[in-house]
Amino acid sequence: MTRQKVAPEQVPLRLYGVTPVTRIALTIATCLFGVFILAPLLWLLINATKNQANVYGSFGFWFSGPFTLFSNIRALGQDISGAGIFVVWLKNTMLYAVVGAVGATLLSALAGYGFSRYRFRGSNALFFLVMATLLVPITSIALPLFLVYAKVGLVNSIWGMILPSMVSIVGIVLMRTFMDASVPNDLIEAARLDGASELGIFIRIALPLSVPGLMTVLLLTVVAVWNNYFLPLVIFSKNSLYPLTVGLSSLSQAAETGSKADLVPILITGGLVTVLPLIALFLILERYFRGGMLQGSTTG
Amino acid sequence: MPTHGRRPRRSSRRQWPGAVFVAPHMLMLALFMLVPTVYAVYTSLFTSRLIGGNRFSGLANYVTVMHSTVFWSGVGRVLLFAVIQVPVTIALAFAFAAIFDAGIVPFSRFFRTIFFMPFAVPGVVASVMWSFLLLPGFGPYAEFAKALGLGNVNFFSSGLILPTIILIVIWEWTGYNMTILFTSLKSIPREVTEAAIMEGASLWTIIVRIKLPMVIPSIVTLVFLNAVGALQLFTEPSILAAFQPQAISFGFTPSLFVYNTAVGSGQYNLGAAAAIVLAVIIGLVSVGAFALTRRRGEAK
Repeated sequence: MTRQKVAPEQVPLRLYGVTPVTRIALTIATCLFGVFILAPLLWLLINATKNQANVYGSFGFWFSGPFTLFSNIRALGQDISGAGIFVVWLKNTMLYAVVGAVGATLLSALAGYGFSRYRFRGSNALFFLVMATLLVPITSIALPLFLVYAKVGLVNSIWGMILPSMVSIVGIVLMRTFMDASVPNDLIEAARLDGASELGIFIRIALPLSVPGLMTVLLLTVVAVWNNYFLPLVIFSKNSLYPLTVGLSSLSQAAETGSKADLVPILITGGLVTVLPLIALFLILERYFRGGMLQGSTTG
Repeated sequence: MPTHGRRPRRSSRRQWPGAVFVAPHMLMLALFMLVPTVYAVYTSLFTSRLIGGNRFSGLANYVTVMHSTVFWSGVGRVLLFAVIQVPVTIALAFAFAAIFDAGIVPFSRFFRTIFFMPFAVPGVVASVMWSFLLLPGFGPYAEFAKALGLGNVNFFSSGLILPTIILIVIWEWTGYNMTILFTSLKSIPREVTEAAIMEGASLWTIIVRIKLPMVIPSIVTLVFLNAVGALQLFTEPSILAAFQPQAISFGFTPSLFVYNTAVGSGQYNLGAAAAIVLAVIIGLVSVGAFALTRRRGEAK
């Protein structure tokens, strides 16, 4: 946090003595990598406007044939030949992402504040335990979760998806670091002298001061839940509960096993609609992503 | 004097709120990580029979997993995958972070945004896009390879499927790693770089000998996170399996083995045992890598 503020300006490039040839070569390399990154996204955008024949039959990086984007989008609202309804998956994903991420942010803020501003018996050991769970594979949690759900009746329940999404280890670590840096102890002490309750201090002082940190955790957890595939794949068997990721994968299975090849344009358009909200979110709120990951990495 | 007298009282007063703030998250962590893990260990000790239901069978499931060549070939495959993917991803990420940090390439902000974009793309959608792009015969990349005189390249053949998945994962994660390394590089004080320039160090020397050692802590964290992710490889091969069933086997990765054993074949006890063996392997690799970086750090 403090180190970040030290270097506000860059060292002028001419001091490095970089030759123009090096500069041009590195610029070309960067452009090539940029093309490598952008090409699939461009492909997605272009091919969402094609019908099935032209997805396969025409050059992938240019428009071709009838412009069917709008009918492709309209098809997303219909029951897709038994695979389910895309619009329902979109609604589910939003529900899981919003409720899961808001919950994760609140719980992380509470826990981060607790670890940052209090010492209690076992607090260090507990925080170490939290850090250790960063290394626990999601695969080995999702299946056991499913087994437990089968016992307690959480299989095919939206809570089976939302509640585990509220556990964000990265969230706690980020919030602790953020609270350490941006909530002054003097302010807390002053509020205590004024007779504020501990919860009141948290709500009226700690939370407002850590809004950028909260935003970061919220965004990172929204992306994590939005993109989660393994957990919903394991715990949902009803396609009316699927999020976009699992829905699209079932769609891709149906489209690719041959019998329902007409689903291909819907699959591609569905992919585009899945990606666009997050790219928009990321472009609008870019600084929170950057700031948050900095803190996460320097703690580690 | 008064402060002296108040101290013990205050510290006792400050104990319990900390625990209360931390409690909700710890409760969720226990319910959705610890309980399932314990239950998975318990389940793995049983075997379900057609007649007689669940029977305690001790370590029999573990013996089966240990003797399963399918499981171990999957483990070997993800280890090979990690050994290639993690260094390539991080080397690319560091190279671009260093280039952008030194200001060699124009429009670096634009490029940084582009490179980070795949972070917003779910692995499912990324895999679907790449499946079409790499389609043998039809896909633009196969046509490109043909134009280069490489003949008919099948990116999903048994020899190329692993490099293909490595390519997809590099596409997905290089920008994320670059963003973290870029912010770490930015935190290096300007004076350090300027002093090196005064002593006549070249750009290459500054990047490799001065900046790289200073961001090693971030790199170590990223190696851990990337390696844990690589060993759990699931989404990409499972989506590719829909497009090219012959390319991805039942136990292509240990996570696929766990999923297919438990959810696909309904052998939950065996799947639980495999999940636990996988978790132990990931734990061992992490601890080993940690010890290695520790020793190298001390040797310096």
